Amino acid sequence: MEAKTALTLLLALPLIASPVIYILGRVEYRFLYRRIVAARWLCLLVLGVTWFPLLQLRVPVLEEGAVLWPIGRIVLQLDGLGFFLAVTVLGLATLVTIFSFQYVKGEPDEEKYYALLLAMTASMIGLGCTRDLFNLWVWFEAMAITSYLLVAFHHEQKSSLEAAVKYLVQSAVGSLLVLLGIALVFMLTSTLDLESIRPLMANSGAVGLAAGGLVIVGFGVKTAMVPMHTWLPDAHSQAPSGISAMLSGVVIECGLVAMLRALGGLAEASLAWGALLLFFAALNMLVGNLMALRQTEVKRMLAYSSVAQVGYMLFGFGVAISYGVSDGAAGGFFHLFNHAMMKGLAFLAAGALLYALHLSQGRHQPLVLDDLNGAARRYPITAFALSVALLGLGGLPPLAGFMSKWQIFVSGAEVRSTPLLWLVIFAGLNSVLSLGYYAPLVNRLYRREPSSVVLQGRPIAILMGVPLLLMSLGSVAVGVWPKLLSWVTYPAALALLRSFGFH
Amino acid sequence: MTFHLLNIAIVVVLSLIGIGLYGLMIARNLIKVVVGLQIATKGAILAFVLAGRLASQVDVGQSLALTVIVADTIVAVVALALAVQVRQKFGTLNIEALKTLRR
Repeated sequence: MEAKTALTLLLALPLIASPVIYILGRVEYRFLYRRIVAARWLCLLVLGVTWFPLLQLRVPVLEEGAVLWPIGRIVLQLDGLGFFLAVTVLGLATLVTIFSFQYVKGEPDEEKYYALLLAMTASMIGLGCTRDLFNLWVWFEAMAITSYLLVAFHHEQKSSLEAAVKYLVQSAVGSLLVLLGIALVFMLTSTLDLESIRPLMANSGAVGLAAGGLVIVGFGVKTAMVPMHTWLPDAHSQAPSGISAMLSGVVIECGLVAMLRALGGLAEASLAWGALLLFFAALNMLVGNLMALRQTEVKRMLAYSSVAQVGYMLFGFGVAISYGVSDGAAGGFFHLFNHAMMKGLAFLAAGALLYALHLSQGRHQPLVLDDLNGAARRYPITAFALSVALLGLGGLPPLAGFMSKWQIFVSGAEVRSTPLLWLVIFAGLNSVLSLGYYAPLVNRLYRREPSSVVLQGRPIAILMGVPLLLMSLGSVAVGVWPKLLSWVTYPAALALLRSFGFH
Repeated sequence: MTFHLLNIAIVVVLSLIGIGLYGLMIARNLIKVVVGLQIATKGAILAFVLAGRLASQVDVGQSLALTVIVADTIVAVVALALAVQVRQKFGTLNIEALKTLRR
């Protein structure tokens, strides 16, 4: 297959399949009065088929640097960064789809869930492979709209509606600010191609700074950078668990990637972008961890831990952008992948327990920490998966999270600047702080007497356990052999540094 | 003459965005929040037309503005659909009612 055809297929397949799946699902329900194949199996099939063009693109992207596809004025470009993002997004989406088979079975609009999941996946892949500033915003907005609808999926629940309204209003203001930033850049440079923008922004002065600030704040809302993070715990805890995994695992990271892409175009307007990212990194780690410590709901705690984990990624990327250290960017991408895997696993495992303990018995209520007492007796596999995810997120040595945090810290120490060294120590201490809420939960799972909720819980379907097992295996494997992922993280890091003008 | 027109356009862009964001902050009714968001977005759309004019690429600026209008309409539709649901489930459109989730 030719590279350009593969890129077309990669973007077009899930986008076209999304409405088709919705219509087929409705038709099936209209005539058979139940849902057998249409939505769920077709969604999995399409995601599976989308892997083929992606794997076809591996050689051209990794060996030649980028696959270009100009459409009129707009250039679509799949470079190492876009390839990395596509692998992460598609991997998580496939596992989430398998998990959701049982989880959303019997919901009144099941086909809507799968159609939107597919559309969201497609727009995130698209977000990774564009070189046009405005086109970046279009993909970003498509991702945002599908995610509003998915957060409000249980629209008969008051709490989901409340979360969706907060999320929509904050996120819409964010994308408005991004638009203003793009308008400023366009006014100044008469072009929207990120490669041509960079040299033209060299002496832009205050306008360049304003555009950069607008872009950082605007995309920062979606990335949950700290003063703009207030929507995140609500939306992530109220969405269906599969969607929580997608939101935490890849959607907020897509906001980060979009911000990095846009800042790449503005790289020469100011030298301070990297330092700004480092500042937000410290803020995110501290606030996320402190807020997570005081939560009593499991999914809310995991949501706050995402705020903290974004801090580590910002740290890696900040080091890379400020000092041109490719290890920092590779560490950031490594942590992005591990976070997608581990936080996805944590949300899916928590979702499986939530389903078994509450939802399958018709109770729509949040899973609180006390419900999980002694859950390991009755749900050994799920409890093990949740423990692997939590300890990995906390950064315990043989697991994936340790390796990526280590790489980020080493890259920070490599630079040999004293403030950065303090920041590394601060980040390390924050990792210890985060164990303050991960470890007690693991303790609850294994060492407490089973709670009455656990004793009355329903069994967990095997199909729900498959993605959990795969992801726990992945977390351990990446922890033991961290080189497993170098083939995607290093090209992504090089692509990022190249987009900032480093060689 | 053109100079004056551009000045007027800049003032309109800034005031639309300012009025929209101010309305967004003080409104207590969900519909008014959506209206505030819409006014601010209209400012951004005008900003694109203006940017196209200043960059002497009027066609590009206007096509960007059209794209934003489409995306903006979808967001407004979703927001209003949520407002309908909120009215049905909460019995009110006051956003003070939407504060049940803890910190």
